[in-house]
Amino acid sequence: MRNIVLPATRQAVAELELGEMVTVSGPIVVTAGIPTHHRIIEHIEDGRPTPIALEDAAFFHLGSYSRETADGFEILYMNPTTSTRFNSLMPRIIRHFGLRCVGGKGGLDDECTLALQDVGGVYLSFLGGGAPIISAAIRHIRQVAWDDLISHYRLVELEVEALGPLTVAIDARGNSLYRNLDDAAHSKRAAILERLAQQRQSQ
Amino acid sequence: MTIQDQHITQAAMNLYSWALRRVPDDTKAALAQARESESNETARKTLNMMLHSASAAETADRYVCSDAGIPVFFVRIGTKADWNANIKSALRAGFDELVQTIDPPLLKHVTNPLTLERGYHGKDMPIVTFDLIEDADYIEIICSPKALGSGRWAAMELFTFPTLETIETYILDVAIKAGSQHCPPVVMGVGIGGTFDYCAKMAKEATLRQIGQAHPEKIVADMEQRLYQAVNALGYGPMGTGGDTTVLGVHVNYAAGHGFTPVAVAFNCWINRRSIARIHGDGRIERVE
Repeated sequence: MRNIVLPATRQAVAELELGEMVTVSGPIVVTAGIPTHHRIIEHIEDGRPTPIALEDAAFFHLGSYSRETADGFEILYMNPTTSTRFNSLMPRIIRHFGLRCVGGKGGLDDECTLALQDVGGVYLSFLGGGAPIISAAIRHIRQVAWDDLISHYRLVELEVEALGPLTVAIDARGNSLYRNLDDAAHSKRAAILERLAQQRQSQ
Repeated sequence: MTIQDQHITQAAMNLYSWALRRVPDDTKAALAQARESESNETARKTLNMMLHSASAAETADRYVCSDAGIPVFFVRIGTKADWNANIKSALRAGFDELVQTIDPPLLKHVTNPLTLERGYHGKDMPIVTFDLIEDADYIEIICSPKALGSGRWAAMELFTFPTLETIETYILDVAIKAGSQHCPPVVMGVGIGGTFDYCAKMAKEATLRQIGQAHPEKIVADMEQRLYQAVNALGYGPMGTGGDTTVLGVHVNYAAGHGFTPVAVAFNCWINRRSIARIHGDGRIERVE
């Protein structure tokens, strides 16, 4: 299994194939909040830098529990959320920052796939219900921003080692497992309904 | 001795904590079986990670998923049980105490639907429904914390005098709409008939049934089996990245109704959170699952 060292080069992610499993190591930025995405877009519109730099970053839809300690913050656990909730917001964020890796669970839509193709980025699918595995890859917290928001909405930068395995579900060339599987399901639908009709007859 | 508030409160705390840390045995067995039969390599690896995550959570006594959901309790009161308790407020007290004491702490998921503010408390929380169990001398409580990942894909439609073909087509189309997004392989619960409210409850209760336990009536058991094959033939697979395993089971409940026939579909994601306890007359809390 390939390990992608972050920040990833355009070439490193260009080679990734749909369905391939990888791990990632290095700095990642995570959030699970729609208000967080709105704030990022406000910063883009106002021409202000985000408190954590997102240029060429690995930006993942992961919710984390961050707790303040004497030395800063600690993360108690983390896990993916459904990325399609951010479909309308992600193309602009992907293009503006040239995000190299995005991820979460459930995928992103065609507009986001196009944006990823434009910047040479990929979408990595995390295991939902994988909190023990995913949390174990955290090495330390680099920064926590927007701590006026509830824990899983904050923008958090973490150092991870061998985070994964993650499935390459949208590649850098405009191919999406989600699009392919949805198209296949729709094209199989008539035959599946026909089989159901036959089974009803014979039962 | 009588079943009192303190027993209900303690049971609510235990049930919620258990549900967050342990994937039910039937679900682990179904995932392991799917791992053997999968033809897709990525899917086999994903199923393997799921089993690994379930076992790691149990060993470390940590949460399987960070979305702890919202508190949902089904209370079934034995008609011969000796009880004197304000059950709903005792359950609320249990969830409140859990939030104060559980380690690690829970994220804030209880959401005001009008303002989108999130916290640990909210109107009508926890969600509690009541039923009776004839002749039982205990109170049974099922805890089913409901999270966004699979919760948002539930659907319902009302038909008039539908054929089985219409009903099954609708169920398949709800599965296609959820597609890759509800943390498959899921348990799919279906309610057919009754009234609008009763049908939704039947679908939800169907998700709580043990995997592999068919409906006792053949006409329904046959429907469950063919829908199980049909949804898996769609090919979304574990975590929706392709494979033969999109559902672990399709469970159908039905009730007589008028000619208007509601059909409801609900999903439980692969971790299939549920826990069950019985509170006996001496205050003993028996963990059933």
